[in-house]
Amino acid sequence: MASSLEQFVNNVRTSSASGHFRELVEMIGKSDEVLQRNSAHLSTVLETLDIQQHSLGVLAVLIAKYSVPQGTTEVDKTNMYQKIHEFITNCNGEQVRLAPDLYAELCHQLTEHLIEIKQPIRGIELLKKAIKKIQLFDSQLTSIHSDLCQLCLLSKCMKPALEFLDTDVTGIGSELGGTNDSKHFLLYYYYGGMIYAAMKNYDRALYFFEVVVTVPAMVVSHIMLEAYKKYILTSFILHGKILPLPKYTSQVVCRFLKPLSVAYHELATSQHAAIKHRETFVRDKNMGLVNQVLNSMYKKNIQRLTKTFLTLSLSDVASRVQLSGPAQAESYILNMIEEGEIYAMINQKDGMVVFLDSPEKYASPETLCVLEQQMAACTKLHQYIQEMDEQIQVNPQYVKKSAGSHDEDMPATSQNSKNTYSM
Amino acid sequence: MFEMNAAEPMQVDVPLEDNENNETECYVVENPTLDLETYAASYTGFAKLYRLMFVADHCPSLRLEALKMAISYVMTTYNVSLYQTLHKKLSEAIASAGLPDVAVQMGSQDIPVLDTMWVESKTKKAAIKLEKLDTDLKNYKTNSIKESIRRGHDDLGDHYLDCGDLTSALKCYSRARDYCTSGKHIIMMCLNVVKVSVYLHNWAHVLNYVSKAVGTPDFNEVPGKDSNQSILTRLKCAAGLAELATKKYKSAAKHFLAASIDHCDYPELLSSNNVAVYGGLCALATFDRSELQKQVIVSSSFKLFLELEPQLRDIIFKFYESKYASCLRLLDEIKDNLLLDMYLAPHLNSLYMQIRNRALIQYFSPYLSADMRLMAAAFNRTVNALEDELMQLILDGQIQARIDSHNKILYAKDVDQRSTTFERSLAMGKEYQRRTSMLILRAAMLKNQIHVKNVGRETGPQSGEAPGSSTSLTPRSFDPVPL
Repeated sequence: MASSLEQFVNNVRTSSASGHFRELVEMIGKSDEVLQRNSAHLSTVLETLDIQQHSLGVLAVLIAKYSVPQGTTEVDKTNMYQKIHEFITNCNGEQVRLAPDLYAELCHQLTEHLIEIKQPIRGIELLKKAIKKIQLFDSQLTSIHSDLCQLCLLSKCMKPALEFLDTDVTGIGSELGGTNDSKHFLLYYYYGGMIYAAMKNYDRALYFFEVVVTVPAMVVSHIMLEAYKKYILTSFILHGKILPLPKYTSQVVCRFLKPLSVAYHELATSQHAAIKHRETFVRDKNMGLVNQVLNSMYKKNIQRLTKTFLTLSLSDVASRVQLSGPAQAESYILNMIEEGEIYAMINQKDGMVVFLDSPEKYASPETLCVLEQQMAACTKLHQYIQEMDEQIQVNPQYVKKSAGSHDEDMPATSQNSKNTYSM
Repeated sequence: MFEMNAAEPMQVDVPLEDNENNETECYVVENPTLDLETYAASYTGFAKLYRLMFVADHCPSLRLEALKMAISYVMTTYNVSLYQTLHKKLSEAIASAGLPDVAVQMGSQDIPVLDTMWVESKTKKAAIKLEKLDTDLKNYKTNSIKESIRRGHDDLGDHYLDCGDLTSALKCYSRARDYCTSGKHIIMMCLNVVKVSVYLHNWAHVLNYVSKAVGTPDFNEVPGKDSNQSILTRLKCAAGLAELATKKYKSAAKHFLAASIDHCDYPELLSSNNVAVYGGLCALATFDRSELQKQVIVSSSFKLFLELEPQLRDIIFKFYESKYASCLRLLDEIKDNLLLDMYLAPHLNSLYMQIRNRALIQYFSPYLSADMRLMAAAFNRTVNALEDELMQLILDGQIQARIDSHNKILYAKDVDQRSTTFERSLAMGKEYQRRTSMLILRAAMLKNQIHVKNVGRETGPQSGEAPGSSTSLTPRSFDPVPL
């Protein structure tokens, strides 16, 4: 037994020294079982390996050490945090990038452990470091992102996640896709949406929930269902109605999600739905958002009034928006004026509200600055799209395929074109 | 899904597009000023029967009279089943309305008895005639004389129509299509199909065949200028009816306006009066001022139509002269009669609504500010009701104005084009960014084959999953190390 373990250590040493990391990754994949069986000796093995030089080996050992194999009950996790912290800080990024799935696995283990011992906040900084180490570029999504968001949510400390959430993803780590299930991808966007909702950045929240719901699907995941419920609620808060899902949403999603979220759809039609389905909302832990929806509906109605009226008495406002009385209407309007959502003045003498036009004249330097920023962002995106297009144009498989169909269309010239390509 | 697709080529047989759900609207018209006799006299065939039945369903005071007229008419045809249903309705009506004045009106000998003799003989005769026509058609077919086969089909269709079997009639008429040898025949076939389709409320079919008839190559060379005009008018009327039924009021109005009074002879579908009312109301609801003036008021042909309906003519002129109060009052006056029109009734409310809104918009258009009290008086409304109506119009963007509820004044809103442009372009930029980043993310998703699936299921290479867009390159594992 010990001999196979020794062999493992030797393999790690020789491959690492000669730089054959790819072979090493393959070998590690096969030696999973060996490590599991010798769990008692793993600590000693760890001491013989150097984190910087043998990062891959250490990674494999750490995972084996802290994963709970079937049958056994408890694994000693007392200094797990220190060990992993040490590893993540010191490991060789180039090496671990060859085994992103193992690396992510280790982070998932750590996250689970921290949640278990109810100290989620400790992991935030470490995971940020971990993400940065494994990322090839800033806008690459890894499955560790979802762990980070989860920890942020649990510790109610949202800010650290924002720097990652605010970057629009352009690439996805290989461990997320392929044959793996898309759980971490869905979770990242779901948690991200929740974080944005908590920060009251509903625009982004809606975007994130939409991503979850529109992921190509053959079956419906529970994460999607929950995201769809929150999608409805944020859509209400932002637009006052349910925005239709884009056309590329998988059919199975459209078919199954709607009947499962009837209570949420009813919010659109009746004010009493919130009370009627209170139990459902509380069970889904969406009551906070539902309250926000109700609040925003009053606000939306008041905003509509500003479009149609120049003056209106407070009691008329109350009756048109279905508030209980002039006093409540006044408080709503006051709040909205303070938050810059409407422009109005209240004349308390005769209880009239005077609605004004937006003072924004789009003439200030600030506006121009904003405009320029927006234009730059749009241009950048456009360029990126063009780059993507070019990449596809020069992709050998694409060229082959498009040329292939071309050949079928015109068999007479096929010989000719083939010659051209062979040159 | 598949069953529906299978039914597609057979659309003829499916009585679809039930746009007029008359059954659901159970309104009752109390005091119509309709002279049923003259009303019925302007129609023949199914148009007469259906219209009388519609009146009977919606107007208790005319119910008995309408049903009796329908029965006496149906007895001249072979339509036995309709006779039986009408008869049943009549006896029910008499039983329920045991009012003395009705009885006096009816006379005692009018208590209906089901004429079983008639039913039997008619059924027999119809069967004999059907058999004869069938054998005739078979003979023609064996001799393969195209012209005779076409006629045979047409005759059979006529007979089915007479018996009330609309779907079979439609089938026969459509079958004649293969044996048409000249443009004239094709047009006749189209007219037949259009007629039956109207009875069946199959509006898509109506429009389809109208365009087919108009598109026939020698449509304009049909001998005799007059007959050509009359065919064109018929087609226009049918098309207008179909557009009206599918709520496309503006194109309906255009079709009706293109009808010509001298050639408007289409008792199987509608009378000239109908053309006037349908066309006038649709035009009023959808045309702007200059269109109304050019195409309705000074139109030499439609003027003649309007002479048939003096009330409607007054309404249109009042509207054009901006006398909205009297215009709307007149409209209310003729509403009861219009509600008894089977094609117009389901759309009457929305047409009236549109006319009203148009009046409100036109009333306000020249003003910078308007006193709502005066406006309310001009529209026969209370100030508060008017305020609600205006609010809706402002929210829909039909009136650019704002309401001073305190002083009850409506102010035109001066729209700052510059600000709105800025606002819109910023919003558009945001939207573009959002969509594009979603697109990039989606491309990355497809590239990495992220999709929700059953983990238990086989997870082999699923290149077939990604939609065949250019982003779905064949699976290639992402190389984490840049070379």
